[in-house]
Amino acid sequence: MKKTFRNILIASLFSGLLVSCSNDDDTQQETIEGFGDAELFFDNGMAGDALILGGSKTNSNNETLTVNRLNYIISNVVLIEEDGTEYVYPKNESYFIISQEGDMHTVHLENIPAGDYTQVRFGIGVDELRYLEGETAQQEFWDYAAANNMTWTWSTGYRFINFEGTFTSENNSEPLQFQVHQGSNSATDNYREVTLNLPTTARVRVDEMPNIHIIADANTIVDGTNKIVLSENLNTAGTNASIMGGENLILIAENTQQMFTVDHVHNGGGSHQH
Amino acid sequence: MKKLQQLFIAATAAMFLFASCSKDDGYSGIPEDRPFNFEIPSNFPAMAQDIGNNMPTENGVALGRKLFYENKLSRDNTISCSFCHEQAYAFTHHGHDLSHGIDNLLGIRNAPAVQNMTFQSEYFYDGASNGIQLLSIVPIHNPVEMDESLPSIAAKLAEDDAYVQLFQSAFDDGEISSSNMLNALAQFMTVMISADSKYDKYVRNEPDGNMTQQELDGLSLFQNKCSVCHATDLFTDSKFRNNGLPPNPNLNDLGRHVVTGFENDKYKFKVPSLRNVALTKPYMHDGRFGSLESVLDFYSSGVQETQNLDPILQQNNTLGIPLSEEEKQALIAFLKTLTDETFITNPLFYEQT
Ligand code: HEC
Ligand code: HEC
Repeated sequence: MKKTFRNILIASLFSGLLVSCSNDDDTQQETIEGFGDAELFFDNGMAGDALILGGSKTNSNNETLTVNRLNYIISNVVLIEEDGTEYVYPKNESYFIISQEGDMHTVHLENIPAGDYTQVRFGIGVDELRYLEGETAQQEFWDYAAANNMTWTWSTGYRFINFEGTFTSENNSEPLQFQVHQGSNSATDNYREVTLNLPTTARVRVDEMPNIHIIADANTIVDGTNKIVLSENLNTAGTNASIMGGENLILIAENTQQMFTVDHVHNGGGSHQH
Repeated sequence: MKKLQQLFIAATAAMFLFASCSKDDGYSGIPEDRPFNFEIPSNFPAMAQDIGNNMPTENGVALGRKLFYENKLSRDNTISCSFCHEQAYAFTHHGHDLSHGIDNLLGIRNAPAVQNMTFQSEYFYDGASNGIQLLSIVPIHNPVEMDESLPSIAAKLAEDDAYVQLFQSAFDDGEISSSNMLNALAQFMTVMISADSKYDKYVRNEPDGNMTQQELDGLSLFQNKCSVCHATDLFTDSKFRNNGLPPNPNLNDLGRHVVTGFENDKYKFKVPSLRNVALTKPYMHDGRFGSLESVLDFYSSGVQETQNLDPILQQNNTLGIPLSEEEKQALIAFLKTLTDETFITNPLFYEQT
């Protein structure tokens, strides 16, 4: 209720601006003024193929993974213009969950200053600063994250990535469960940011919404620069590979910085209706 | 541009505050909110938590107290925080080595005292949380403690008029939300300060602070042998250490390792505060010792060289802290001076209906 009201106010403020700018329209070739929307679309993949939950794929660690879950948190989005000018999306609104099982693939950004953007930066997970601000700052995001399996069950942290399924390897022909839960804890900060170049400029205009199509390769989580062999991370009973802490999370944090690539940018995606 | 937007947000927020305030005053009958007056004891170190965005207010603390005693915080409405944290025992679970919670399920750890929380930087034996505003999530989510979720509690409380009014009187947005619940509990825990024991009066040169010779001997032994870990007038350094307890094979609790996953954190547990320690038996993370005598016997001759044993407990080729009978008695006499009657009988922390 409060939020809607605020949005209306902001919207009316912006429409006011638009009106006031329209004077210049005829004198310039193109007005890059006002505000528009933009979208990041996360297309999840697995070692070069599309990610299909329940499907199998063998990776360079010689392990065959059947992925049953891939959820992750995208945060602190920044759009960057050619000259380096950065538009930092308002922090309070800048936490999103991508979920393959939940069919949640888009990060929708509103009220971006019109412009030509050539890079995008975002965080994977929740930054320490945010976390330490406590629950007030996090507002509903904690509940939303909990509902999407993105909070730890025994401590008050977020899971940045929840990657689960089964695997077989040379050592186990019978599939065993794996759970990779990336996150920070009070000893290690595993939040990382990535900056990606856009192959085509993303045009944000009052009536044009670019869609930045990003491929997220889930296999890179365990099979990037750092190789995390699941069968070497079994519990003592040998029934399950749970990677939820320790050095592995630091290695995974490094891998996740390579997991995202921009495939293409759709421009002109029509005027987006609020 | 951004500035303007913020201005507008601020203006809108202000309008809302205004609107909601004037609304409450109309019908709630709850006094207008004011800052809660609480003092930081002069012998304490600086606060370890930043409470700037959640300063205790009269109504916020009252709401936090009500929530602390509220059974609806558990899935089947049977368990409150106070079930395991009883005031008379400095908010510990009296008589239980391992706390039991919902469905009578047994937990794996002993409930520590809830006191002086804002002065500590890590919570729970393994550091499952390091923020006072978030920590209540841990027992609420724990399947053997309360097994509930925040949105579900909010929905239960919203059916109760008393809560509707209390939330309105305590928070600007007046909502029964996850964050307001956690903040109210945090405000209550912020004012749960224990600093009025005989020892405190002694160090602050206040009346009734006369220590006996035996107690003073105990204090100096403590300062020599214990205060590296049980540091400052909080009697904890908020760090994780292995004090050489033989691992309990039934539990195989790896302590700090559970949270961090680091090999060098195995068997490390948060150093507990020793305030009110004479009231908080049984002792250690699994409540294995029933008396302070047993604790000192352990430090004197029971410390084992397990993985990551703290270097302080293996100096000069000796394990532990050898103590004579006399020294043990003096230490116990000193530890008893940490009992704070004012804290355990303060009506501010009672259940009030
Ligand atoms: C079923 C029993 C039980 C209930 C109910 C319970 N606790 Fe606890 N509490 C414990 C146990 C056991 C521990 C130690 C757990 C650990 O270290 O893993 C603990 C630890 C704590 C600590 C950490 C103290 C320190 O020194 O690190 C705080 C604070 C706390 N509880 C507050 C609460 C609050 C607030 C509630 C209600 C929302 C609550 N507890 C409900 C049993 C309980
Ligand atoms: C190397 C650090 C260290 C030193 C030195 C040390 N302790 Fe401890 N103490 C701990 C830790 C860690 C725990 C919690 C261990 C656990 O529960 O697994 C603890 C627990 C205790 C407890 C149990 C508290 C409770 O509420 O359960 C008492 C009592 C205690 N210590 C007293 C002492 C005394 C007295 C001395 C000095 C003779 C001493 N300690 C020296 C680290 C230390």
